Amino acid sequence: MNAPLPLPRVAVDQMRLFGRLRRQLLRNTLKVLLEQSSLRVVSIVLTSVVIWVFVFAVSWSGFRYMTLQRVPPFGAIVGVLFDFLFGALWLMLIFSTGLILYSSLFNSTEAAFLLSTPARADQVFGHKYRGAVGFSSWGFLLLGSPLLLAYGTVYKVSWLFYAVLPLYFIGFVLLPGCVGSLVCLLVVNFLPRRRKQLLIAVVLVLLAAVAAWAYQASITLRTQVDNREMVNQLLGGLRITQVMAAPSHWMTKGLQAAGQGFLTASPQGDAGTLYYLALVWSNGLLAYVLTAWAARWLYRRGYNRLATGGSLRKRYGGAWLDKLLSASVGFLDPQTRLLIVKDFRTFRREPAQWGQVVIFSGLLVLYFTNVRRWLFLTDVEWMYQNGLSLLNLTTTGLLLCIYTGRFIYPMLSLEGKKFWVLGLLPLRRERLLWGKFAFSAVGSLLIAEGLIVLSDLMLAMPLFAVGLHVLTVAVLAVGLSGLSVGLGACMPTFRETDPSKIAAGFGGTLNLVAGLLFLIAVISLMALPWHAQAATARPPEGVATEDLLSLLGLLPGLGVGALAAWLPLRAGARALARMEF
Amino acid sequence: MIELDNVVKRYGTKTAVRGLTLRVEQGELFAFLGPNGAGKTTTIKMICGLLFPTEGSVRVGGYDIQAEGDQARQMLSYVPDQPYLYERLTGREFLQFIADMYGMPPAYAAKRLDEVIHLFDLGEFVDDLTERYSHGMRQRTVFASALLHDPRVLVVDEPTVGLDPRSVRLLKDVLRRLSAAGTTVFLSTHSLDVAQELAQRIGIVDHGLLIGCGTLATLRGQARTDGSLEEVFLTLTEEVPAEAGEALNGQARPRPGGVTELTPGATAAPQGDGPR
Repeated sequence: MNAPLPLPRVAVDQMRLFGRLRRQLLRNTLKVLLEQSSLRVVSIVLTSVVIWVFVFAVSWSGFRYMTLQRVPPFGAIVGVLFDFLFGALWLMLIFSTGLILYSSLFNSTEAAFLLSTPARADQVFGHKYRGAVGFSSWGFLLLGSPLLLAYGTVYKVSWLFYAVLPLYFIGFVLLPGCVGSLVCLLVVNFLPRRRKQLLIAVVLVLLAAVAAWAYQASITLRTQVDNREMVNQLLGGLRITQVMAAPSHWMTKGLQAAGQGFLTASPQGDAGTLYYLALVWSNGLLAYVLTAWAARWLYRRGYNRLATGGSLRKRYGGAWLDKLLSASVGFLDPQTRLLIVKDFRTFRREPAQWGQVVIFSGLLVLYFTNVRRWLFLTDVEWMYQNGLSLLNLTTTGLLLCIYTGRFIYPMLSLEGKKFWVLGLLPLRRERLLWGKFAFSAVGSLLIAEGLIVLSDLMLAMPLFAVGLHVLTVAVLAVGLSGLSVGLGACMPTFRETDPSKIAAGFGGTLNLVAGLLFLIAVISLMALPWHAQAATARPPEGVATEDLLSLLGLLPGLGVGALAAWLPLRAGARALARMEF
Repeated sequence: MIELDNVVKRYGTKTAVRGLTLRVEQGELFAFLGPNGAGKTTTIKMICGLLFPTEGSVRVGGYDIQAEGDQARQMLSYVPDQPYLYERLTGREFLQFIADMYGMPPAYAAKRLDEVIHLFDLGEFVDDLTERYSHGMRQRTVFASALLHDPRVLVVDEPTVGLDPRSVRLLKDVLRRLSAAGTTVFLSTHSLDVAQELAQRIGIVDHGLLIGCGTLATLRGQARTDGSLEEVFLTLTEEVPAEAGEALNGQARPRPGGVTELTPGATAAPQGDGPR
């Protein structure tokens, strides 16, 4: 055995080096985006602004309503709302950071490259952690900031609230990011072969917990006559977010203290906002140090275990899922069914893809179930109930728009260099499109119809409205599927292998903008007229003449849906027929 | 410089590398050959510290790759078959990142940057974003980055795939010069003519077993043929599968003239001058 060779004495500040790398990448990416896809930048900024303003407006009217009901700004009800908000965001951040980190630490070519350099494992982890937390915090900022600013504006809170809000935001994302990272590292190290099953089990347990809580809450709402007792019971159901150790509760208490202008302590001797801010930050930073320390020992080990934990040739199961899907589209011809199953197989074997669907759909389920509790707590008027159900319909449509843009639009391009295999198959080329269209429409219908029915049931909407929403969502699912599949065939980018980059390109942006316009048109024609007339009336019982009159937009809506599906699919089929391989 | 001592690597129940013992000395250009799925890339990944051996040990420059990996990687460069470049960095920014990662003093880094840009003829596109590079441009940039910090060990996986004849010529000249200057080159390739032309010693691996290792003359003797490396390779690899299956169950000893000579310190260590 040879003696170790002397190494040059070099002290590399790797943290600084990775920081510079991220800044360079960000600067170059922005430059390219502005030069080549200014349309995309504008559409991203506009969409974000619209969502932000929308959430702000809804939150503002909600808080305004609460002031009219004399709900105190720093009392228990607002506290529960904040606890729940931060608790939900906490869960979202744990899941999204964990999933993003799993993909970028163990599944990316960049990670393999960095691990073959002298970069230390904890520094590579830190580099990826910052990227993952930044990425997953985007939703937190977009949803949390308008809500809290609306609260501050309505209740005219102290300036201190606005001053410390950004500090709370940044500090808050550290801890769930670390929890997600640690779970990811531990699973990869100690359960490398069972990670997918574990993820599914955790998601199911969480969904079951939310469902159980929602069921319990609905029982309480139905049986408790005394409002005070009811509030107590519901608050009891949220104990988990209220214990002193829960960071979401530190956020609530800290922001409420800031709202009252208590920097160090309240006149009653309670802790001021600085105390809670220190709690959030110190725990977040300590968690980061511990996680980075764990990564130093576990990252390379986990990378090795994941790469070699299974067999050389991976055997994939789940044939029963394929059979189930194939049976559910049994009305289609066998060739189209086979194409659908092929696309489904590809989709379900990418945890990063279906993970996003599960997370966002799960969050919507959480929101829909929470809305009902909030409504009953404050005995909200029909007008708000009606408005919220329209908002939920729009949110579901927006989710569909994002799903089809992110997952369906890139599907044809992802066939990539092997597209000639499909091109040479003994079937008409347009059948490829029909296969992808059917796959998208069936998947979208299953998810979106489930969500909208849940939302309407939670809001106790009349049956007529439920039927109207089901029909609107069906038109949206079919139209958005046709649009994404058709435009995807018109503007394929076979060289690109990353679906997110295909979705972010010019064609993907055009598809997103077209989808948003289609969404606005369909909702304005099919659902808005009924909601507008219902807003001025009492909660409808049965079907009135006014209801039928407000449905005049239904036929044009169906027409727009049919055109949105047919025109792009026809253009896509023609483009596909002309394509050379 | 590279020492593999009785290395075994298992993927679950499958064994990818079986009891590999090998030493590659300083300044040696070693070619590592084998059919698809023979265990070449797994071995390379263990040398670079991306994977750890299930049994045995891997040392680079005297440092154990598992326990002292950061030190080992400080003197090593790895060019994989599908090299990575940050798409949203220019070639120059990427090279600078590598220089900083290896702690090169700024003045020396600037000098070396100019040298490798000139050597691999990157001048025309080095300030463009790498997302616009062709395969050949990417490969040349990656080689430039790999040599930038004067590594003592260069591990290369399939370097000639997708390169035009001029670039292949350039690459061969560079590898030869590096070896002459004292850099250890571990080259994995399917291009037998490149291996025959460049390598001082050749290792042939199949089903995770090192079935032959030495100069071309040694391998010819082992295969009982006077033909080209291609003939030697085909003769040796076509005789392995049945035995490999038995070895898998631990029921058979490798046949004479085959793996038996690969005990630690025996034929897997260098044997004099090259075969050319």
